[in-house]
Amino acid sequence: MDQRVALLEAFYRGLPTDRAKLETSAHGFEFLAHLQTRGIQLEYGELTTSEVLHKYKVTHVSAAQVEQFLDWHVAKLCNVCLYFDRQANPVLSFNLDNDNALNNTQLIPEVELAKSSLVAGLEALDCKPLVIASGRGYHIWCRLQAAIPNQRLYQFMIHTGAAALLAVQEQGLDQHKVKLNLYPDVRIQDLVSLRLFGSEHAKNHVFSRILDGTTLLDERGSWAYFERHLALRTIALATFDKAYDAVVPPIG
Amino acid sequence: MRTIAVDIDDTLNNFTQTLRATHFAYHERYALPPALFDEYLERLRNNTPVDEALLSTRFAYFRARIHLECYQRAEARADGVAFMQWLKREGWRIVICTHRDLRTAYAATKEWLEQNHIPFDYLFRAGNKIVFCRLWGIDILIDDNMFNVVYGGRYGVRVFYPKTAPKTSDSPVTQESGARGFETFDQLKPWISV
Repeated sequence: MDQRVALLEAFYRGLPTDRAKLETSAHGFEFLAHLQTRGIQLEYGELTTSEVLHKYKVTHVSAAQVEQFLDWHVAKLCNVCLYFDRQANPVLSFNLDNDNALNNTQLIPEVELAKSSLVAGLEALDCKPLVIASGRGYHIWCRLQAAIPNQRLYQFMIHTGAAALLAVQEQGLDQHKVKLNLYPDVRIQDLVSLRLFGSEHAKNHVFSRILDGTTLLDERGSWAYFERHLALRTIALATFDKAYDAVVPPIG
Repeated sequence: MRTIAVDIDDTLNNFTQTLRATHFAYHERYALPPALFDEYLERLRNNTPVDEALLSTRFAYFRARIHLECYQRAEARADGVAFMQWLKREGWRIVICTHRDLRTAYAATKEWLEQNHIPFDYLFRAGNKIVFCRLWGIDILIDDNMFNVVYGGRYGVRVFYPKTAPKTSDSPVTQESGARGFETFDQLKPWISV
């Protein structure tokens, strides 16, 4: 097995692998038949408007097939996006994007500031995140020692995310220009998936580089950082609980 | 195997009529004050969207909610259902090709198709259906969108459109487009068999 595939499997362990979304230029009924002969079912497909990029939501994916998808992912033949478990997950992610209706592929100051504030807030809680440049924004991941109920993850993310947006507003910038999506989102958890590290962005084909402080690492450096983060930065449950209590007001 | 792409909204169903005629009661799940609910609903019905600088807005959220309700409530055209069943019996590969956001509308769409006994092999969302049909080697598209009606023929996609659909009934279609309007789905059978 490719070492990078092993790293991806380790980092994202606990996310369901019986379903996925594939982003690829591959298309045609022969391609679909190729998937279907392996028992995979296509829920729906999509042709994006930005360029000839297809997205396929597939289900009934076997463990062996997931590994093949990840092989394709690291070989840049497709991007693999995974969904989150409906009950509990051992990872969480903030997705920060430019929300402008026109020209939303640019990295804008509001997104940069929201990212910096969010990372600082998480680090202050002893929850060192993995920050991945997504093209027009950032995916900010926290890997946890074990799965935590989605509602609890969501409450944690709502409060830390809101604090980051407040920091944008306090600097005199418009926080509404920042789209903040939370994964897992208890309202739409079966509907949305998130690209894994090691992909290329669908629109600009830029590798999903990791941010080390203020330095954007190259592809090789990003993989090395990813491996170190996996080994050293997994958040203990006790640490998460302490962070949760610090940011989420007690009920009543 | 011959393949055909078929749109849903205002082609197989009466989406616009449903949007305009349905009584949508105010509810807090729309996350809007009542006055804004009324204004936004009127805008949706008249197809006059709010001109906004951002993507994730209250209007966008509201539109998605109301459209989803219309997908569920819209009535299937009986002749459209019979035509789709005829296609299946005749051995066509059927691709449902829609603009709907299938991330949120997949379940409702699949359920509606099944409830109305409309057979299909694949379900696709395509931002540009002409590009989709060309890439997938599909030369017949049934659709009410004027862009496809006007430009399909130029790119080798034969487009057939329902004459009674709101979009096509309001706009003249030139001969050069190569597109052909139909009143009943039965008319399509000999046309697509050529």
